[in-house]
Amino acid sequence: MSAVMTAEAPPHSSARRKARPGRGAFWLIAPALVLIGVFLVLPYLNIIAMSLRPTAVGAPYGAGFTLGNYAHALGDGYILGVLADTLLLGATTVPICLLLGYPVAYHLARTRSRWGSLLYVLVLSPLLVGVVVRSFGWLILLSGNGVINRVLIDLGLVETGLQLMNNRLGVTVALVHVFLPFMILPLVGVIQSIDPTLEQAARSLGASRLKVFWRLVLPMSWPGIQAGTILVFVLTLSAYVTPVMLGGAQVKTMSVLVVQNLIDNFQWPAGAAQALVLSACGMVAVWVYARLTGRFMKGLQ
Amino acid sequence: MKAFSRRDCLQAMAAAAGMSALAMPGMSFAAQNLVVNTYGGRWEKFWRSDLMPTFMRSAGVETTLDVGLGKNFVANLRAAGVAKPPYSILMVNENIASLVRAEGYFEPIPAAKVPNLANVYPILRNAEDNGVRGIVSTIGIGYRKDLVKTPPKSWSDLWSNPEFKGKIGLYQIGNTAAMLFLLMTAKLYGGSQDAIDRAFTEIKKLLPFTQADWSGTLSTMLTRGDVTVAVIDFPEIVALQKKGVPVEMVVPTEGVLAFEQSFNVLKNASAKEEAYKYLDFILRPDVQEMMAKEFFTSPTNTRSKLPPDLAKDVPVSGDRMKSIFQFDWAKVNPQVAAITDRWNREMK
Repeated sequence: MSAVMTAEAPPHSSARRKARPGRGAFWLIAPALVLIGVFLVLPYLNIIAMSLRPTAVGAPYGAGFTLGNYAHALGDGYILGVLADTLLLGATTVPICLLLGYPVAYHLARTRSRWGSLLYVLVLSPLLVGVVVRSFGWLILLSGNGVINRVLIDLGLVETGLQLMNNRLGVTVALVHVFLPFMILPLVGVIQSIDPTLEQAARSLGASRLKVFWRLVLPMSWPGIQAGTILVFVLTLSAYVTPVMLGGAQVKTMSVLVVQNLIDNFQWPAGAAQALVLSACGMVAVWVYARLTGRFMKGLQ
Repeated sequence: MKAFSRRDCLQAMAAAAGMSALAMPGMSFAAQNLVVNTYGGRWEKFWRSDLMPTFMRSAGVETTLDVGLGKNFVANLRAAGVAKPPYSILMVNENIASLVRAEGYFEPIPAAKVPNLANVYPILRNAEDNGVRGIVSTIGIGYRKDLVKTPPKSWSDLWSNPEFKGKIGLYQIGNTAAMLFLLMTAKLYGGSQDAIDRAFTEIKKLLPFTQADWSGTLSTMLTRGDVTVAVIDFPEIVALQKKGVPVEMVVPTEGVLAFEQSFNVLKNASAKEEAYKYLDFILRPDVQEMMAKEFFTSPTNTRSKLPPDLAKDVPVSGDRMKSIFQFDWAKVNPQVAAITDRWNREMK
């Protein structure tokens, strides 16, 4: 998570003020520090410690410390395959969300219509329903005898139902639906801050609509794109309910394996190690992405 | 707004500390009354509206409800340790209870303190009465009457009836029911629950099948006809029937599987006497009938009598309780991780 937070911080947040903050300021952040320490740092340290314990049956963990859990997680072709699948799922969900979300975000940022607020509600609507309910909805739409397949069969487009779920397709569709607002909302904020008169000026100087978008709006909305893509990527990596419900046994993600180890099998050390491998991979991916896009954004200025 | 000074902050923190200090006696007081655990949804509702008030009236013991998943209760238990358990009595699936029992959290239940224990079906009583299965939901075969020509009669029909190819619904391995099905297959085809290899070979012959995370998903798939036959708990089938879905349940000739809720008294319970009273209450014939009416579970007390209209919705009761497959979880638990891993790799 920390990688996400730094990536989301505006690039010019380095304090210009040289004024030394008084000691009182420390007390102001003390409650926040205590909160983060108790509810974030301590549990993380605990998870790291747990991941270094030997697995055991008949006890939460064995005596002593070992790197065996990591060796197993990183040395097993099957687990590495699941890890790669998980990262790939993130890498496909993100561009789809961006392509679908950008036009909506642009419209929301620029519209003066009375229906604007209704559109906002529509964008947020997936968040108002529990993730289990949403996934059930997709199950009903995508299953072998589901609504979509029925329509296709009745129209004579296909003979037997298409395999729309229990595979990567079904999981991706549902994930895009769930995470689209997390792409749209940061984009709206950034696009709103782009002065519309800039676009008008460019148009009046003879730039085509496409050119205005390509040379002006898109580069200026990069901070929003960066925040949105990172958010969706991280959320996809950690998604659990959607892959379990729409992936069946065919799509296994790292979080499914982790939950199996932690909750179903009580293999806490193995589960902790796999969870840390997943978050480390996620952080590295986000860090590399933030570095690359950060350089790109600097180039734009 | 008034500037927030260091003194204010200290005062606030002191106040917070004071509050938590005040809360302490409250917590130890809470330990005096009995903490009772159950699952969410209909279970929680039933506990709040029916079981807890009835227990309060008859035994005069105040209870506090803790709602969660079986596996979370175990996490709570382990976090607290054997010496200071957060519960005095715990209800979890027997396979999970067996794991925790091996870690020394529970102790045998004295039959004298729990009179109704004597009337529980012997098959549901653990060795030395260290835990008793108090609530049983049987698992058999459910099928669509309108989509299946030859109804199944036995477990082996899943393998032999070509109609079922590609139309079978099973549970995902994380669900206890999948482990039960695997162990039963080992017994049926390999002669004992230890024939895990044989079970894998046989279940692979059923591929491709659909795997659901829990009963609710299997229900949806049966309703939509995505699967026409499923290994599923009978209460789920009855619920579908009441909604008008043309499904039927079959008690397979070889026997049935069951989700067994195991009740265990904690060795270092803070409210042990109350826990015995609660367990005795749960095992009472009339309380078992109440649960059968609500959840279509099979009464575990031999003296429970189901009225005829209810008996048709609870296909396994009375003498038929003997047909429940039993497994030695103490032998299974050490293998669970390896079995799960193998299932992940091979069953897809």
